[in-house]
Amino acid sequence: MSEYVLELRHIAKSFFGIPALKDVTWGLKKGELLSLIGENGAGKSTMMNIVGGILPADSGELYINGELYRPTQPSDAKKAGIAFIHQELNLFTNLSINDNVFIDSFPRIGVLPLIKKTEMSRRVKKALEAVDLHVSPDTIVEKLSPGERQLVEIAKALSSDPQILIFDEPTTSLTNKETEKLFGIIDKLREEGKSIIYISHILADVERLSDQIIVLRDGCITDEDKKENYTIDRMIQSMIGREISQLYPTKTNKPSKETALSVKGLSQSGIVHNINMDIHKGEVVGMFGLMGSGRSELARIIYGLDPYEAGEIIINGEKVEKHNPQKAIEHKIAFVTENRREEGLLMEFSILDNLSLVSVPSSAKGKLKIVNDECVKNKAEDIVNKLKVKCPPIENNPAKSMSGGNQQKVVIGKWLLTDPEVFIVDEPTRGIDVGAKYEVYNIINQLATDKKAVWVISSELEELMGICDKILVMGNGEIHGELAREEFDKENILKAAFNQTVEDKTEKGGR
Amino acid sequence: MSALKSETYRQKKPAKQVIQRIFLSEYFILIMSLIYFVCVIPFAPRIISQSNLLNLLSNLWPLLVIAIGQTFVLLLGGIDLSQVSIIGVTSVIGTALMSNSFDPAIFEGTPLWGWLIHENGGPLAGSAASVPVSIFVMLIIGTLIGLFNGFFVARFKMPPFMVTLVTQMFLLSFAIYLTQSRNIMGLPESFSAFGTKSLGFIPYAAIFVVLIALGAHFILAKMVLGKWIYASGENEVASVVSGVPTKKVTLFCYAMSGFCAAAGSAIYSARLGMGRPTLGEDIMMDIVGAAIIGGTSLSGGKGKVMWTLFGVFFFTLLFNTLNLFNLSYFTINIVKGLVILAAAFLDVIRTKLMTRMSIVNGAGV
Amino acid sequence: MIGNKSIKMVILRNIPIILFIAIFLIFGIFSPKFISVDSFKNILVSSSYVGIIAIGIMFVLLTGGIDLSIGSVMYLSAAVTGLSVQKLQVPTVLAIIIGLGIATLVGVINAFLIVILDILPFITTLGMMVFVKAVGLLMTKSESVKLPKVITSMGSQSVLGIPMPIIIFAIIILFGVLFLGKTKLGRQIYAVGNDVEEARKAGIHTKKVLFTCYVMSALFAGIGGIISVAQIGIVNAAFGKGEEFNAIAAAVLGGVSLAGGVGKVFPGVVLGAVMIQMIQAGLVFMQTDLYKQPLISAGIIFLAVFLDSIRSKYIAKAEKRNIRNENKGLQ
Repeated sequence: MSEYVLELRHIAKSFFGIPALKDVTWGLKKGELLSLIGENGAGKSTMMNIVGGILPADSGELYINGELYRPTQPSDAKKAGIAFIHQELNLFTNLSINDNVFIDSFPRIGVLPLIKKTEMSRRVKKALEAVDLHVSPDTIVEKLSPGERQLVEIAKALSSDPQILIFDEPTTSLTNKETEKLFGIIDKLREEGKSIIYISHILADVERLSDQIIVLRDGCITDEDKKENYTIDRMIQSMIGREISQLYPTKTNKPSKETALSVKGLSQSGIVHNINMDIHKGEVVGMFGLMGSGRSELARIIYGLDPYEAGEIIINGEKVEKHNPQKAIEHKIAFVTENRREEGLLMEFSILDNLSLVSVPSSAKGKLKIVNDECVKNKAEDIVNKLKVKCPPIENNPAKSMSGGNQQKVVIGKWLLTDPEVFIVDEPTRGIDVGAKYEVYNIINQLATDKKAVWVISSELEELMGICDKILVMGNGEIHGELAREEFDKENILKAAFNQTVEDKTEKGGR
Repeated sequence: MSALKSETYRQKKPAKQVIQRIFLSEYFILIMSLIYFVCVIPFAPRIISQSNLLNLLSNLWPLLVIAIGQTFVLLLGGIDLSQVSIIGVTSVIGTALMSNSFDPAIFEGTPLWGWLIHENGGPLAGSAASVPVSIFVMLIIGTLIGLFNGFFVARFKMPPFMVTLVTQMFLLSFAIYLTQSRNIMGLPESFSAFGTKSLGFIPYAAIFVVLIALGAHFILAKMVLGKWIYASGENEVASVVSGVPTKKVTLFCYAMSGFCAAAGSAIYSARLGMGRPTLGEDIMMDIVGAAIIGGTSLSGGKGKVMWTLFGVFFFTLLFNTLNLFNLSYFTINIVKGLVILAAAFLDVIRTKLMTRMSIVNGAGV
Repeated sequence: MIGNKSIKMVILRNIPIILFIAIFLIFGIFSPKFISVDSFKNILVSSSYVGIIAIGIMFVLLTGGIDLSIGSVMYLSAAVTGLSVQKLQVPTVLAIIIGLGIATLVGVINAFLIVILDILPFITTLGMMVFVKAVGLLMTKSESVKLPKVITSMGSQSVLGIPMPIIIFAIIILFGVLFLGKTKLGRQIYAVGNDVEEARKAGIHTKKVLFTCYVMSALFAGIGGIISVAQIGIVNAAFGKGEEFNAIAAAVLGGVSLAGGVGKVFPGVVLGAVMIQMIQAGLVFMQTDLYKQPLISAGIIFLAVFLDSIRSKYIAKAEKRNIRNENKGLQ
């Protein structure tokens, strides 16, 4: 019998010739909590997809309790006693908890084709008790809060009595209180002898929970040790693997005293509360906050997509009354959303159409607003050259034919064509590779140098530290702190930022 | 694109290459129609007779203008089921305005009697401008009904299918109620002339429709509004973020659909020489079918006036020839159903092929 | 304040029932005879066929699809049943089985085109609507078809005082409730309607689910067709025309979402179907002008659909997730 319940030996995987995992070997012991950390694209999800039977490995073997394990579909993982708790909640919101738990394996009444509800409820009740969620198994999932849904996911995973549980970013949509509760459950599961793999970006949580930590970078294990031997600094060092300064361009912008965007006492009940912030011309202001902290919602309100109840938005000294995106564009605001696929681009449409969508009315001729094709095309090609977008001919190739990084450049480019004064950039580097990230940072730096005001929203603190003049920390719909660049010391600020949220946790717990 | 395409095809045989290119071309339906036309000649030589060709074309115009209106709504990813009833309502009202006489025995009981229509005709009876003014009123009414649909779709986010379905049911019964299911006769000569006569060589109806079609083409291909329509249909959320006034765009498209239905109604009524409340009842299938066969997508963002023209041409040609073969009404409908299904299936294959091609292209870049 | 809000929510959630009662009472005020067991029984009898086809189309709507062919299927299966007896002297029971078999066959063809060949449901069933009707008319040569006495008398027969159509309607309702609520396949239909991709990932055989729904829709249309003819006694060329829209309207009024995943047989769709018939029956009771009747009923349906859309928007807004957990959260 092996000492490991799950073991990976020499696992490798490439996509279109680009390696995502290179010869990775590790093992998970019984009753152990093993954390996997690493940047986006380090290979964490590829590895978990291989374990889950969603992707086949190119080479290497998997073992469960010392026996060879060759999953070909998700149900193989379930049979082998592995249960996933996913980051995005995979529940059918229109169905009850009961239905969700048993959707592919309802218990039957004898030989009748009818569902045996009593047994279903009994088993679900037990699983819900195990996660300390006291709602009826008949509750429709839609009515549950994100935190409760996360608990249902865990209950669903527990209902198949797994020996290995894999948590993939389980806290991103939870409040602090719910997170604490989740951790309590994880501790309890570990005591019961379950083995757990925990994947997270929140290093403080990793430090709190883990027995063992594995750091992945570029498809390789760069660090592996007992929790006791780690500091958060060491984790970051291993994750990034090089000096932070190399990752970011040298700053050339000079923030001026002139305010470009000013927000005063902005509130919308249930979303944001008493937001005060100033962004000056030529300044890059970062906003750090986790998913669900209200940062993207704030950006949507300021851009005019969502309403607000109280407060003022002042752009270039002019107070903006109740507005909409068209007005925001008139006021020279640009908004690069966090969701490139759904909100940023028309994926099936040509790159040219995407680039010209916002600015096309401004170059249109006459009362009938006739599109000036030549002018539009020339401008678009200028931007493509300026931003060094690597793309096929822009006129007849769809946006989806480009890589993520180039798509992001096109989104930025379409706004540049409107010659904006204020740039709101939400998660500008999500899902794009390191090289492209550098270029995006470069563009942001250039914008600020050209005296534009840039507001960057991100959940990657490192990148904000690399490119911003000032960082605002957001949580629970409020701005919790403001740090000037002089205070950006790598170690201290990271700690301060994490402590900030920890302090906030205790503060809110008492509320 | 063409450079990339030839690269992909270089290894393949030329014949196969040509077939594939035709299959994937946007002129596919037109080419199919022409091939079909030529193939039918030996079996039904009458098809190339002047009278048949004129008949074929006269059937083309009204369907074309209505289908163009539908194309605008389809481009948004919506649908307008109410067009068929707009045809009936506008037919009734338009002809009531211009009719020269009403038989009291028939019309006395109708709600129009007394205030709008009298024994000696409608309010415009005898006036020199009766025909153009009536047609103008029809177009206004069609547009207003379209705006009504568009308002509920845009403002309240109601499903277009339900909104236009209920307006369809309402308007059909409204048209029947107005005339108590009678047809309106006694129309001025010049109105019939609008439907059947020509200005020199070109029929009036053709001039009317071609003008609207050119306008529609101009809007979609040349104007900012057109760009906005395509963008809203492809991805409404992204369009809103990009500053596209999607609500106004939606209103416009439904208004256009109503306008075009009314225009079609004017031609149909003129050709028939009467106003009939159930005039458009059975042509929903033809309208949507022609637009889809032309290549317009039901899910929005894809379609052209020219494609709809090809689709309508194909449809009209097919039924013209089926009529020439002296097939029964039922057999024609059986073929109609099968043709729709075959065309839709062909479209599925074309789309899949094109997706595969674009993947090849994408990888090559 | 919170109490106020929850009362508002209760009202919003139950708009279909409230609307139903309101319409019933309004007609009652105008013609008191309307509120009687007999008139209600009549409404139920006449709504039975709409109810059955609405339950059928509901299967398809739950998956986010649509079936425009059911009016034509009603015609075809009723016509085939009648012709089998008339021309081929087939026993009545067998004739009904043949009629329903034909309906099922149309369902299988729909399902094949949509599920296997990947053609859009709207276009497929639009094409089939024209095709199936034409095949039916070709068979009957568009002459009226009489159905045997055994079937037509069923419309007026009753068991223990309950008319046959109501009994059959009740059986279908029971079947629908059990199938959608209590079987694996039924629950999976809702899952597929919520998100096809997610359903596939969750291990659901989505093609099987979709196939079942289109076959069900056509089969129920066949049953509805025969029940309807049992009351009218004769299949003429216009029979079944536009019924798909009645069925869709009944389902939507009963709370079924056209986007899929939401809706219940009881009370939902049953209520919707009865409501549509009740409006028509009420207008007859009030001796409304024949031409105004469809006008008014279309107006009421529009109002109902409109209220329903406002309601779902309001509920969605009220339940929208809050970022700030001011007084919510787990206990």
